[in-house]
Amino acid sequence: MSRHYTDEDLTLYFYGEGRRRADVESHLESCAQCAALYRELADTLALVASPDVPERGDQYGLEVWQKIRRQLPEREACTWFDRFPGSKWFDGFDRFNGFAGFNRAIGLAAAAAVLVVAAFMAGQRFRPGPSNAVSAVIPVSSTDHATPASQADASASKRILLTSVADHLDRSERVLTDIINTAGPGDISQEQSWAEDLLTTSRLYRQDAVAAGEPSVAAVLDELERNLLEIVHSPSRISSDDLEQIRRRLDAAALLFKVRVLGDELRRRNKTS
Amino acid sequence: MTAEGAGVLTRARQGDEDAFRVLVEQHSRRVFRLAYRMTGNEQDAEDVVQESFLRAYRQLGRFESRANFGTWMYRITANCCVDLMRARQARHDQSRGESLDGAEQLPAVDRPGPERLAESAEIDRQVQHALGALSPLERAAFTLRHYEGRSIDEISATLGLGTSAAKHSVFRAVKKLRAALAPLRRQTS
Repeated sequence: MSRHYTDEDLTLYFYGEGRRRADVESHLESCAQCAALYRELADTLALVASPDVPERGDQYGLEVWQKIRRQLPEREACTWFDRFPGSKWFDGFDRFNGFAGFNRAIGLAAAAAVLVVAAFMAGQRFRPGPSNAVSAVIPVSSTDHATPASQADASASKRILLTSVADHLDRSERVLTDIINTAGPGDISQEQSWAEDLLTTSRLYRQDAVAAGEPSVAAVLDELERNLLEIVHSPSRISSDDLEQIRRRLDAAALLFKVRVLGDELRRRNKTS
Repeated sequence: MTAEGAGVLTRARQGDEDAFRVLVEQHSRRVFRLAYRMTGNEQDAEDVVQESFLRAYRQLGRFESRANFGTWMYRITANCCVDLMRARQARHDQSRGESLDGAEQLPAVDRPGPERLAESAEIDRQVQHALGALSPLERAAFTLRHYEGRSIDEISATLGLGTSAAKHSVFRAVKKLRAALAPLRRQTS
């Protein structure tokens, strides 16, 4: 082979991944430039030795249990619950998200209130129609054996999910549009912060879309996720060249168009259901 | 999984706290190991252990009994670590996090001479500093690949990322580490 291998190729090779490993190996034997790059990479990664993890004794599990037993939270009952827009508020339940003064009782009350509001809105917006008019974005195979009450619940959940994904795509479209319209060089830290929030949500929706057998929705969300990740990982004070690169990548994938079309499609399905 | 293990899991899913205690006792050490490798800090790892089990308890209803509880806990722990690192990053000014030039961020007085480089503790310190400059996702993906020996596909499943996103998180981490550790590499080689 005449071309040199990239850093990425060699990183994968170092970790025993990537295709055509035999080709890389023989190339490294004959190409001094790639061999030097690989040596440098391998030497660096060799410096990053696995840390010595402090030992924990046989009683450690019991110690952990003693610490958490009084904090055991309420069990979640609803799979879609944490996909609702605004669900980040409920991260306040965990210690990592900085809602120090947000005590558990208030959190539970807020959770209950949102559930009631969501149920009310679902009832108002999605009155049961003819069974054949239900949107098929998220097929629910178990409905064949479900009771009428559980079918209604599943149908409401499905429609709430549709609305949530469409809203998510709207928000994503706004962020992408902001990025595309930013004059470079510029500061995109605000857009990066939004993109990071969207990234987490997108990941959850994509998993649901895969589980629901909706590969086209999952594919757009996957593509969106990768581009959001690129934005998040770009320098906050971005150069004109980097900005242009992001724009070109978005254009090449026609991502803005796909996001817009899918959002419209989901809303259309929701309306007709 | 043994029948006894499956029974414990079933009882835990039904809300039996004693059964959940058994799961905590069985999996705590493994969870701690992963948390420590990801955060590089004992206190943070302890926080992650507790938070991971609390999350697991909250979400136990979603756990599919056919799945492996250890794998599920592993995923929860990895994502807890990412959340903790993100929270830390949000609380502090982490402009250094996105910089490729991690080595420049070391205070000048801390730059080691050749004799100090001989000490592995100093190398560890520099490596920890470089790891600390990675973004939470990069650090998580790198830890899973480098320390835990997970494949890109496994990292993708653990962190809930697309394969390409997982791969690029590892690439970015390696790129930043190479930049940050270049002076160290030159002096040790």
